[in-house]
Amino acid sequence: MRVVVADDEVLLREGLARLLTETGFEVVGKAGDPDQLLRVVRQSRPQVAIIDIKMPPTHTDEGLVAAEELRRRDPSMGVLVLSHYLESRYAMRLLQQHPERIGYLLKERISDIAVLADAIRRVAEGECVIDPTIVARLMARQRDSGPLTQLTDREREVLALMAEGHSNQGICDKLFLSPKTVEAHVSQIFSKLDLREVPGYHRRVLAVLTFLRTP
Amino acid sequence: MALAYGGAVVALGILPALFLDPVGQGCGRCPGNLLGVFDSPHAAQTLNRVAVQLGLAWALLLIALLGWRLFRSTAATRRLIAPVVVPAIVYLSLVAWSFQHALGRGFLSNDALDHRLWAGQAVALVAVALGVAWEWVRGRRLRSTLARLVVELAASPPPGGLGAALSETLGDPSLTLLYPLPDGRRVDAYGRPAEPAQEQAVTPLVRGGRRVALLVHRPGLLDDPGLAGEIAAAARLALDNERLQAQVRAQFEDLRASRVRIVERGDTERRRLERDLHDGAQQRLVSLALSLRLACLEPSAERDMVVLQEAEAEVRRAVAELRELAHGLYPAALSEEGLGAALQAMAEATSTPLTLTRLPEGRFDPKVEAAAYFLVAETLKRSRPRRAAVDVASVDGRLIVEVEIDQRLSEDLTDLEDRVGALDGRLLVRATSGAETRIRAELPCG
Repeated sequence: MRVVVADDEVLLREGLARLLTETGFEVVGKAGDPDQLLRVVRQSRPQVAIIDIKMPPTHTDEGLVAAEELRRRDPSMGVLVLSHYLESRYAMRLLQQHPERIGYLLKERISDIAVLADAIRRVAEGECVIDPTIVARLMARQRDSGPLTQLTDREREVLALMAEGHSNQGICDKLFLSPKTVEAHVSQIFSKLDLREVPGYHRRVLAVLTFLRTP
Repeated sequence: MALAYGGAVVALGILPALFLDPVGQGCGRCPGNLLGVFDSPHAAQTLNRVAVQLGLAWALLLIALLGWRLFRSTAATRRLIAPVVVPAIVYLSLVAWSFQHALGRGFLSNDALDHRLWAGQAVALVAVALGVAWEWVRGRRLRSTLARLVVELAASPPPGGLGAALSETLGDPSLTLLYPLPDGRRVDAYGRPAEPAQEQAVTPLVRGGRRVALLVHRPGLLDDPGLAGEIAAAARLALDNERLQAQVRAQFEDLRASRVRIVERGDTERRRLERDLHDGAQQRLVSLALSLRLACLEPSAERDMVVLQEAEAEVRRAVAELRELAHGLYPAALSEEGLGAALQAMAEATSTPLTLTRLPEGRFDPKVEAAAYFLVAETLKRSRPRRAAVDVASVDGRLIVEVEIDQRLSEDLTDLEDRVGALDGRLLVRATSGAETRIRAELPCG
């Protein structure tokens, strides 16, 4: 699979590229700033771009802006944003633009090659990827009352996986459940949370995350 | 004026008298001229004519001088000198007229027109006298008003009261008082930096060789010499009082500004640390984890593999801890998106169930946002409540932040009070009937 790596830290960029190459990805380009990234992507046409959220010149959200620009130019390309921030608002910002082929992972995941490789593949296949730590944190907000308390443990598991961006098939594989069981859980969750079941997988991620983010 | 008068007396009276012998002119009943040097009617006549011309010239010159002075004066001065100068001009005009009347015949006489002119001159002279008297009365009145002012001011007026009283006494609504500070700045009665407007005149009020205040007023108001001194003397106590108050207020203002700067510097430092942690330490650690992972790809022995994996897991834990630390220092959401986003992120992150009732729209001064954010963050961190509710609303130019926790505060909030106080805000802590505590901060934000 063809990928591009963008990070202004040269050691990290080279290390990540090497790790991805070792794992079987084809790193077709590397970039140190947003302009270079756009150039490299235009030339090498990767399937997924892996972008650090902090890039020059201000090191705030240039990575996000570049990701949005890449998606605007080519909605069929996957974008995986790596970030130091555990807050869900950056992930939401990405999802709200184009809720598909987009991922938001914590940066330290890059040494956990299995998670990283899985995320890149899922993004390339059209899914969304939200870092499990972010979802876990949203789920962990204690609620004494409210619809979340009415879910069974299994339903909570399914809800978390939905929020992380897994498709029904993905959830089946993760939990070793049959597609029928997963579908039943999903519709049960939606009715308990009083959410309208939205058509399409991508809108579902957004709906679930929005629900979890609402205090 | 004296020169003109002396000249006229000599030219008109004495010089011709030296050459006129009335007896020689056929006036049998006239006494002999004791001053007569020799009898020369022709010389007397010539001298008389020259004297009349001289008198006319003097009178016209004086009229021109007075008119010029009146014209050049400011409006205030004109009002002040008009009661004397105007009748004086009338008088001189009448004098000029009688000289002009005498010009034809070459000497002063007493025909019917002369009589009427003399009567007019007498009236004008009385008017001049009245003008001088009026001037004196006005000075007295001003002094007594100033004296009344002293009594009024003894009741220590509010800041700016002295300026207002002087403005009323002197009839200049634009009048203000400025006080020079030892460091050279000028402040108003409230201690705020102030400078006189371009078109205003400035009169220093000096006492004991020191400028105690600057009277800023419309030009010409204090042309009356000595008036400034009078004011300085009359309002001595009040001036000192207000000057010292202004000084104290200015110092207070300086102190407040320095407090704001201290808080601001602290926040800047927090933000810098947050960035340093993210961009520096955290980045390094991620790199290290990556290197370890790369080393794992080609381990030399099974034991090495285990060690390396443990090391990598350890590094990842350090990264997570660093992130929490950096976030606590100064959350990126606060600087990038403002108070609402930062509080929402806090509600996501904290283990305490946190209800956000209301959040304000839009951005506020970063200092205000930081004060509000850290008030909530620190309250939760120190009291560790089982539940908390936060309400933030912008009302009438103030940001009202209310934090309600389900227990008593165990630690004091002095540092938060300082932060809020530095922004001219108030912090109120109230324990409600149950075991709850409500903390309310009001921060000026408009």
